[in-house]
Amino acid sequence: MPFREINSKMVEAVVVPGQKMFSQRGAMLAYRGEVSFTPNMQGGQGGLMSMIGRRVANEATPLMTVEGNGTVLFGHGGHHIQVIGLAGDTLYVEADRLLAFDGTLQQGTMFMGSQGGVMGMVRGQVTGQGLFTTTLKGHGAVAVMAHGGVIEVPIGPGRDVHVDPQAYVAHHGDVRNKLSTALGWRDMVGRGSGEAFQLELSGSGAVYVQASEEKL
Amino acid sequence: MSAPVIFDPMTLPSDDNVNAYTFCVELKGGEWFLQKGKMIAYYGRIEFNGIGHGRFERLLRTSFHSPLHASDWVVAQGSGKMLLADRAFDVNSYDLEDGNLTIRSGNLLAYQPTLALKQSIVPGFLTLIGTGKFVAASNGPVVFMEPPIRVDPQALVGWADCPSPCHHYDHGYMTGVLGGLRSLTGLGGTSGEEHQFEFVGAGTVLLQSTEMLMAEQATGAVPHEPGVPGGGAGVPGSGHAGQGAAPRLPGQLGDLQRRFGL
Repeated sequence: MPFREINSKMVEAVVVPGQKMFSQRGAMLAYRGEVSFTPNMQGGQGGLMSMIGRRVANEATPLMTVEGNGTVLFGHGGHHIQVIGLAGDTLYVEADRLLAFDGTLQQGTMFMGSQGGVMGMVRGQVTGQGLFTTTLKGHGAVAVMAHGGVIEVPIGPGRDVHVDPQAYVAHHGDVRNKLSTALGWRDMVGRGSGEAFQLELSGSGAVYVQASEEKL
Repeated sequence: MSAPVIFDPMTLPSDDNVNAYTFCVELKGGEWFLQKGKMIAYYGRIEFNGIGHGRFERLLRTSFHSPLHASDWVVAQGSGKMLLADRAFDVNSYDLEDGNLTIRSGNLLAYQPTLALKQSIVPGFLTLIGTGKFVAASNGPVVFMEPPIRVDPQALVGWADCPSPCHHYDHGYMTGVLGGLRSLTGLGGTSGEEHQFEFVGAGTVLLQSTEMLMAEQATGAVPHEPGVPGGGAGVPGSGHAGQGAAPRLPGQLGDLQRRFGL
């Protein structure tokens, strides 16, 4: 695990020669040793095509490549940081929540409509994810930002988890999600509970929830 | 979850943290310097006077040497206990013993007059020299690092014991064909990490998560109404006043609307 949590808002990463790391631009707090930060035009991995794909999908965050030999401290905007270790499974996260991740992870873009069609697109709008979301796949670690502290809620068979779409951060594993609505006449007259939309996650994996309803 | 602890003047800690975000100072007829607006509550008889008040001539001569920040600081005098806090930042106290420490001016909340406050030659930073206690805020807990280290300017809280601070510019991004193109056209953007503060020498460097602040939300702001102290249009000097209070739009129901929770 290349990320070490120093406190809730800072992580330390060890950079060794020959191993790349990607991080959000401007997220470096301090470093020791000889480390270089190169702005990454492609906004991540892959060639020109994946860059265009990300631009179209609006999942192109300003990323930079971190290379060299030393240790780097990452943190951004005073947001809380959660380190997520991936062992071959896929993490679904919004690109602007990515603080730093291993270069060994495979970055991709997913169309929300591919999970549940039109309802998936509606879900993307409600969670603020838009029509596309970023996927990271492989073995490695990801540092994800959230507003407020993060809790990990495990999802198992028969244990579905309902999450407020605004508090949703990321999820990994073999998880199906769908938007459940509890709209009633009260919502129509403006006296609703404010919890009309919920994200229902089922399958096996984990979902990360932030202790705030504020987006990044 | 632990139950909330209720404090009274006797149980409040003396010159110690109440929790991670609040610090309690006990005054026994003495003085403390504190930055304006950082006091959130106090017990006892404490007077707050702006700097430049004639009575503090002697005090200022020994422990306040920063005309630039004179308008940001007040002297608390009297006896009692006062609570200090700042935007839910982590607050900590530090003891200096015949030492020196340089800190970002916005992060320093209060200090004992046994310390002398001077302006650092690095703009935006203040140096404390002498023996005594001071209180500082940081976004997230402070991390102490040993030089040599390079630090993002926004993440720097301060430094102690004279490591030599200097600027470090990373020109690696300008090399090569792509780098040259990038520096000429600005295409591809910058990494935001071309400039750091570099520290070498003996000492300690203090870091925080970031200096970028959370948006300040005016909780419990006084409404802008004539007759309300602090309200009304145009309150010069009070920097953040009136930021959060949205103007009433035509078509709103006014107070009735708020009463019904709409």
